[in-house]
Amino acid sequence: MAAVRSRTRAGRAAVSMSGEALRSDQLRKVYRSKGGPPVEALAGVTMRVARGERVALLGRNGAGKTTFLRIASTLLRPTSGTIEVFGCDVDRAPEKVRPYIAVVPQEGKPFFHLTPREQIYSYLRARGLGRETSKVRTADALERMSLTEFADRLSITLSGGQRQRTMVATVIATEAPLLFLDEPTIGMDPFARRSVWESLRNLTRRGSTILLTTHYLDEADALSQRLYIVDRGTVLVEGTAEDLKRSVGGTLKVLLPQGAAEVERFRSFGSCVPDGESLTVIASPERLGELMDVAVRSHLTATVGPVTLEEAFLRVVGRSINED
Amino acid sequence: MRTDARARARPFRGLAAFLGTEVLVQAHEELAMATSMVVQVVLLVFVWVLNPGLIGVALVGAVLFSMFAMGQRVLNEAAYIRIDHKVSDLYLASPLSAEAYFLGISAGVLLVYLAPVVVVAVLATVVVHLTVADVGLLALLAAAVWLTSASIGYVFSTAFRDNRAIWAYSSLFFNVFGVLPPVFYPFGLFPVALRPVVLLMPPSAAAAILQGVLGAATLTHAELLLAAGGLAGESAGLFAFASYWARRTVRGR
Ligand SMILES: Nc1ncnc2c1ncn2[C@@H]1O[C@H](COP(=O)(O)OP(=O)(O)OP(=O)(O)O)[C@@H](O)[C@H]1O
Ligand SMILES: [Mg+2]
Repeated sequence: MAAVRSRTRAGRAAVSMSGEALRSDQLRKVYRSKGGPPVEALAGVTMRVARGERVALLGRNGAGKTTFLRIASTLLRPTSGTIEVFGCDVDRAPEKVRPYIAVVPQEGKPFFHLTPREQIYSYLRARGLGRETSKVRTADALERMSLTEFADRLSITLSGGQRQRTMVATVIATEAPLLFLDEPTIGMDPFARRSVWESLRNLTRRGSTILLTTHYLDEADALSQRLYIVDRGTVLVEGTAEDLKRSVGGTLKVLLPQGAAEVERFRSFGSCVPDGESLTVIASPERLGELMDVAVRSHLTATVGPVTLEEAFLRVVGRSINED
Repeated sequence: MRTDARARARPFRGLAAFLGTEVLVQAHEELAMATSMVVQVVLLVFVWVLNPGLIGVALVGAVLFSMFAMGQRVLNEAAYIRIDHKVSDLYLASPLSAEAYFLGISAGVLLVYLAPVVVVAVLATVVVHLTVADVGLLALLAAAVWLTSASIGYVFSTAFRDNRAIWAYSSLFFNVFGVLPPVFYPFGLFPVALRPVVLLMPPSAAAAILQGVLGAATLTHAELLLAAGGLAGESAGLFAFASYWARRTVRGR
């Protein structure tokens, strides 16, 4: 046992393409900066990502998502705990991990004086890929991200969303076995976001693994097969989007546009979220008829729809905030 | 898997491509290329007005100063792509080694800003009647000065989180080290007591050696040894340190 433990602590330093793509155990990160108190950004995060999986990391601003991604992608050292990528200890042998990963950093921008085509192509070449492969993949990534029209314009002349598409295209083109994407679709229009989703699905079909963060809950729902919600540096929930939706006590959402004043009448049906004049009640299908009766008697109109991941997120994270 | 596993064994494989990227990116700053010679030209005019006899010394000094000033551009470029663009993450979390990344930026700066320096070097050759051996020595010393300044520039770039803080420090450092000591004027005019200090500063050490060889200054054996040994040690040592530092600072703390 002691031998096993010491070997684990020492960490493994060889990449293995069998087993998990990523695993972290009790990963902690404390930022220490001069003139400020230490900040515990990660307080023991344990995570598993299988090969070929698409996993979303969700959480409020400052929850620790970027910190986790930066540690996993060899750009930041953890304070304690372990993290392995394809079985290789990231902290001990980062240079062994790097050929297998690619990163879209949060708020990254392409080189302004390169065109998207030059950016993607030269990046692939810098990663050591051959001329022909780089050329083919560049054209393919430009096409996928609908950048062909702007492919030969300097990035400085592109819009914010077009630049972000260039960043994502650059990383997608690597076809690296493990991709880390920190808010990859920020600032993109709904069409562009869907192109990203489709490209990422395609990559995982071909064996790549994806870990991304996003504040768009519909994106996490549409794209990820599993998700982790982190809050203040710890994992609050792990599971599928469906698991999360079920966990909030009902699968239906009833919106009462004038219902906020009548909130007390609806408390017994499930959780109530007033927002201005309106009220949203999360309810189970069995009690929907009864609820509608109350609404009619109160002269309120109501619309019924499925609970979204965003609502489930608000409930789960909100509950955790209220508990403190 | 599909990623080219050979890249692991050859971490400098992508260097040429990254260097090409850096040249392409920086060659767009035409104004910066032009202004890179402003200080040198102004100082050359000063020297010419005050004492035309010293213009040869000043021209050689301008070449060395230009090489030294490249460190400031390495500093600015490395900090800019890390702090403003964060595009550095793309390259640092990739098979391209940290050393290749540092070298790519440094050599990119060199290639883009070298042309006007060569013009000054040719002028110096004509004015001072440099022999082939002298030109060789000038090139060697210029290379050593570039190596130290690029290394210092890159190491400095990792210390900042805000580009505005960099401007103040970098111009202070590069001007004090490059303009104040006897680079544009003869070593003999510098106070004797302070000479060992300037012989340990890369641009003035290189200038003193050249002035000694060209007969524009008289250096003792000890001084020549200090300048040559210091410059050799500094360029090799700083380059080795910057390579180590580049590797170490890929990961923040
Ligand atoms: N360099 C740093 N120094 C000190 N504290 C930091 C540093 N970087 C991040 N933090 C703190 O660590 C915590 C986690 O930050 P992180 O960037 O990981 O959050 P995030 O989940 O990515 O947030 P967002 O959704 O806003 O991007 C925050 O409280 C943040 O203030
Ligand atoms: Mg973040």
